[in-house]
Amino acid sequence: MSATASHLREPLVLGSPSLHDITEQVLAPMERKPSMLWYAVTAATGLVALSGIATISWQLYEGIGTWGLNKTIGWGFDITNFVFWIGIGHAGTLISAILFLFRQKWRTSINRSAEAMTLFAVLCAAMFPLIHMGRPWFGAVWFVPYPNLRGPLWTNFRSPLVWDMFAISTYFTISAVFWFIGLIPDLATVRDRAKTKLRRTIYGTLSLGWSGSNKHWSHYETVYMCLAGLSTPLVLSVHTIVSTDFATSVIPGWHTTIFPPYFVAGAIFSGFAMVMTLLIIARKVLQIEHLITIKHLENMCLIITATGMMVGLAYATEFLMAWYSGSNYEGFTFVNRATGPMSWAYWIMVSCNVISPQVFWFKKMRTSIPVMFVMSIVVNIGMWFERFVIIVTSLHRDYLPSSWAMYSPTWVEYMTLLGSFGIFFTLFLLFTRVLPTIAIAEVKAVSGWAQKPAHGHADGSARAEAGAHAHAAADHDASALAKEPEAVHA
Amino acid sequence: MHDAAPQAPRSFLVGVFDDEHAILAVTRAIAAAGLPIHDCFTPYAVHGLERAQGLPRSKLTFVCFGGGAIGFLTAVALQTYTQGIETSFLSGWPLNVGGKPFIPNTAFVPVCFELTVLFAGLSAAAGLLLFCGLLPGRQPKLLVDGVTDDKFAIALDTAAPGFDEAKARALMAAHHAVEVSYIAEAA
Repeated sequence: MSATASHLREPLVLGSPSLHDITEQVLAPMERKPSMLWYAVTAATGLVALSGIATISWQLYEGIGTWGLNKTIGWGFDITNFVFWIGIGHAGTLISAILFLFRQKWRTSINRSAEAMTLFAVLCAAMFPLIHMGRPWFGAVWFVPYPNLRGPLWTNFRSPLVWDMFAISTYFTISAVFWFIGLIPDLATVRDRAKTKLRRTIYGTLSLGWSGSNKHWSHYETVYMCLAGLSTPLVLSVHTIVSTDFATSVIPGWHTTIFPPYFVAGAIFSGFAMVMTLLIIARKVLQIEHLITIKHLENMCLIITATGMMVGLAYATEFLMAWYSGSNYEGFTFVNRATGPMSWAYWIMVSCNVISPQVFWFKKMRTSIPVMFVMSIVVNIGMWFERFVIIVTSLHRDYLPSSWAMYSPTWVEYMTLLGSFGIFFTLFLLFTRVLPTIAIAEVKAVSGWAQKPAHGHADGSARAEAGAHAHAAADHDASALAKEPEAVHA
Repeated sequence: MHDAAPQAPRSFLVGVFDDEHAILAVTRAIAAAGLPIHDCFTPYAVHGLERAQGLPRSKLTFVCFGGGAIGFLTAVALQTYTQGIETSFLSGWPLNVGGKPFIPNTAFVPVCFELTVLFAGLSAAAGLLLFCGLLPGRQPKLLVDGVTDDKFAIALDTAAPGFDEAKARALMAAHHAVEVSYIAEAA
């Protein structure tokens, strides 16, 4: 019998592994010697990461004059990459927090790797505002309100850029804490299986003395719920605040109230695509295809289609509002986006984000691995271009035609973008080697309760039986029984 | 209770089971029989076990709320002081930015929200580690073999009043314990 959440739903874990099998299967990739493939891929992404870091070092030394920015176009690849990576991070929090609050049990197989992805994406994102200051050793500290000898002259808290600093650093901290709390029981599992002293020491230190005590589990579940409850509005606030970096300005194409929901939907859209890219590879390489099933991927396809259409609706709304507002500048900006010299970027965005996800209406498409893989990359290309379109096409033809300009990025900008992908993938590959890529305890929880008691009666479902036991043993605890149906359909 | 002697590690009668249905049933049975339950040990959070074991609701929600409140007040104080109040000691410096109000009622919202979440989350996490005594380098006091893998255990305090070995063993056996043994707490 497999672990089903309901008889009407597909099982979340295929092939009915025992609890011990789940431990073995999830931990196998980090307990065996890495394959040649892993070494090769990590070496390749590591090389890209290093060349990215070298490029960034050169740019820090020489200054941001090495970029293709000019007086008109003050934000280019730098902020495009920043918004792109922050958006990628959002899916991880959505999976770990929002789906948790909505009792979506299918999240258990994918939340750990999605949260890891969030952390790495936020790291990549945080790099760009720092380097775009040109001299981050001055700029970065001025964002932090600390008593200083310049008056003291304080940070301007009415500026969205300062809000952004608070939002991103809070987001990174809370995501890291949430991720680590989730890891503690699994680290204890690794500790108790460790064959070498080094492993036992490292994982013993990291697991903080976890013993599986139910007193601890009770506190743990409470804190997990609190963190999920906090992360949910937090993740919405982060991209909302990122969007106010644009929306509070007076640039046509930026100055719109639709930005916060539009940015959040786009972030979830691109983030899920990135989770998909990573997991399609990871489940194959790590041989965990029965834990991350087609059903999980199919659910992600549905979310991608839904958020893709929200983004499409936002594109249409922007055009409608530009026309309906009667503002010449607003109208011009949008006509220029779709038909001007940078219209190629606009149409790449529309075809990748709005048109192509429609293939997922067909069950055959959203259960086909090659289609999903290609689509996940297409969506991310589209979402990168969305930010490029918003930033560059709004800036390049502003109010004053004499200052209109074009933007051609330099090799430094291309290499920095590529390097950020290298850093992201290298971190993710290292993660798959040193930490459990699947939340073992959580997968066991969805799989464990559905498993038949080893010594139970032959008839009746597992849950009914547990209920019967409980009834015999503790009639006084009527509320426990009243809770049973909720557990079955959760 | 009698004197300060019992520094010796406590000993527990530990029953080990194979699935969550058994641990739930045996815990309810043992609680109903009035035997002193020290704790249960499981590879994942078993729903209903905390109730079966008679654990109170975790107080960490209050810690989380308190942290959030402190975070909110910190943000209000920080922004109000730095943007709007001039005092002689460590003076703030009100900045006139485009004639906007020094203490606006909306522009302070984002930072207030972020610091509320930050403080609430960090205090909940710190509270968890503190409440459970989880710290780097700590070793578990009582670690039953296999409970971080696929075993479910219940430990009874042999020194507690009401402990009845024969009764406990009988209940554990009736619920198909795979192993019943004495385990001493690590010093």
